[in-house]
Amino acid sequence: MAELPAGSTAKLKSIALKGGATVCGVADAVAFDAHAPEKHRPGDLLPGARSVVVVGGAQPREGDWAATSPWVMQTMGTTERIQGVGRRLAQYIESEFGYYALYVPPGTASGDTPFLSLMLAAQLAGLGSKSLAGPVLNREHGFMYWSAVITTAPFDADSVETSPACPAPACREMWDRERTTPCLATCPGSNGGCLSGKLENGRAVRTFYDAARCNTRVHTHWVGGFQKVLEETLNEPDRDKRKMLLYGDFFTRSLWAITYSSTNIAQCFECMRVCPAAHGLREMR
Amino acid sequence: MRSGERPNLLELFTPHRTGGDYPGAVMTREEQLKAVGLEAGARVVGIAAVEAFREKVPQGYRPEDILPGARSVVVAGGDGPTAGAWRCPDHRVMEITGYDLRENVAVHAMCDFIEGTLSHHAIQAPSLPVHGHEPPMSMMHAAELAGLGTRSLAAHIILNPEYGLLYYAALITTLPLEPDQPLTEPACPHPGCAAMYKRIGTTPCLRVCPACLGGTVQDGRIQTSTYDREKCHSRAQTYGIGSFQKGLLQIVNEDDPERRRTMIYSDFFTKSIQSLGFFRDSIAQCFECMRVCPVGRKYRKLQ
Amino acid sequence: MAVFKLDPEVYKRYKDEVLKLCNSFQKIDQPGLSDKQIAERLGLDERTVTEIRCVAERDCYSLDEWEKAIEFKRKATLEWSALALKRPDLKPE
Repeated sequence: MAELPAGSTAKLKSIALKGGATVCGVADAVAFDAHAPEKHRPGDLLPGARSVVVVGGAQPREGDWAATSPWVMQTMGTTERIQGVGRRLAQYIESEFGYYALYVPPGTASGDTPFLSLMLAAQLAGLGSKSLAGPVLNREHGFMYWSAVITTAPFDADSVETSPACPAPACREMWDRERTTPCLATCPGSNGGCLSGKLENGRAVRTFYDAARCNTRVHTHWVGGFQKVLEETLNEPDRDKRKMLLYGDFFTRSLWAITYSSTNIAQCFECMRVCPAAHGLREMR
Repeated sequence: MRSGERPNLLELFTPHRTGGDYPGAVMTREEQLKAVGLEAGARVVGIAAVEAFREKVPQGYRPEDILPGARSVVVAGGDGPTAGAWRCPDHRVMEITGYDLRENVAVHAMCDFIEGTLSHHAIQAPSLPVHGHEPPMSMMHAAELAGLGTRSLAAHIILNPEYGLLYYAALITTLPLEPDQPLTEPACPHPGCAAMYKRIGTTPCLRVCPACLGGTVQDGRIQTSTYDREKCHSRAQTYGIGSFQKGLLQIVNEDDPERRRTMIYSDFFTKSIQSLGFFRDSIAQCFECMRVCPVGRKYRKLQ
Repeated sequence: MAVFKLDPEVYKRYKDEVLKLCNSFQKIDQPGLSDKQIAERLGLDERTVTEIRCVAERDCYSLDEWEKAIEFKRKATLEWSALALKRPDLKPE
């Protein structure tokens, strides 16, 4: 197999940025083996995979973080803007370089399991590192959404980040003072929340993440809530009460989220809202 | 510019793009911003000051309730069905044709410009219903205040005097902008409709849909106008969230398993589920009042 | 804390008033009241008003109205097509 012409990786990244990505990196497909379970590695999805191209972007704007209405971030999701970039990149790789490319669908293989962990891909492509709250944070741009393309093309892999964005200096200081950080304080696992953790030698070590509870917050109105109300309705013997359930605010809103994807992407950002490393480095007015 | 290439926004504002009262090569900030929106696919762009919303909008639903420090609301109007779609005798085509929602793309382009180049906060205004039929902010009212159209007899749809029916999206920003003024001349009633009302006491939209609409015209102006939104919902979103809920309630209340089965697999319930899966199927499903509306009709006359 | 469920008796008592005060039946230039404003007027809490409004919006018309909507659109489109496209063969029965 002929290798890529010199400068191909740089060209690919340039196209990705022009196409709307904020960042673009490449991970070696083999690097996933040590971290991803079987059936969820690049080679399981595309036999012969050699690289995984990862793009990040479509992050909430500064105004989105500043908005006081919860409906802004909950209903005006923008993640699909980066999905379009990933899809176009896959087409570009095939047409320009002549190698197989597979755009990783952002949905789930079954239940809550993705085909390929986009967060892991972002880390291995050197685009960010896992935070105490969970999301992968980029050092310059903070919280963003990811899309990935698996390919047989041997692009040059980037190195994993060595200086993580989390914990931010302010969080280290807070930990030294109060034994907590903004994200842990906002959503404490010990008090009905999703997160617990600790810092050691200035590094984040997550010790507890309640994914099921987080799901009720990130996807308050979606498939899970729909299923819950349906079950309750079927078990409700009183017909009037059934109407209250099926026509009620919660079920109606859940149906909206099922229909219009921008309203179901993510419905809780509180750990990221308080995170000093999540919002990028730009001053706004 | 090649496909997939992001436009260099600064290149858009080269000396040949003159405008407004400014002589020579300089565009005003408002013109720059509108140019971004129009380049991104909006048909029209207008600006309203946040103060203008205070008169008629209850607290909690105003732009300043949504973004602290908000100064301006920029509204983009985008096209709906194509001229060809209006001519299709099968109403089901328009029910599921969906739109490219270009006005939302324009809003994002303008938000990116405001934050990226002008360093002020900008957010897409939340416009999808969050409690029943109620959105956090009215795009219709924003369009009125931004001078993009006026309310009509037809479901109080905002009609742009040039293009007629457009779809609206908006952004809220902390950037102070010179606002446009609401239109002083209403688009509705069209002179032809006013003449028709004088002659036979009705207008094309009122005549085609008396179930949802009611109204009177006097001296060429709307005197009264009523709109039954809930009945309209059964027409404008025949297959969607509402029909799914209605169908599901009937299904769970049906004791006979055979009847229940026919209801679950019925055309009506199947189409309802389909419109949940493909959101474009459920955006707008009735156009009869707009089909007969003469405002903007010249753009539907093609070969 | 269980999922918020509206008491059907409360619903039946207030649904017509809530529908009248909100944006369900519109008069031009007379905006409907917000849930908070309706709650103040009726002496209820806002959450209850929101729930009543959501159920009432959906409950306002029976499923028969949806069937009428389907027939209305079919006929209206064909009638317009017959006239505007000069296709009398399209005129509905």
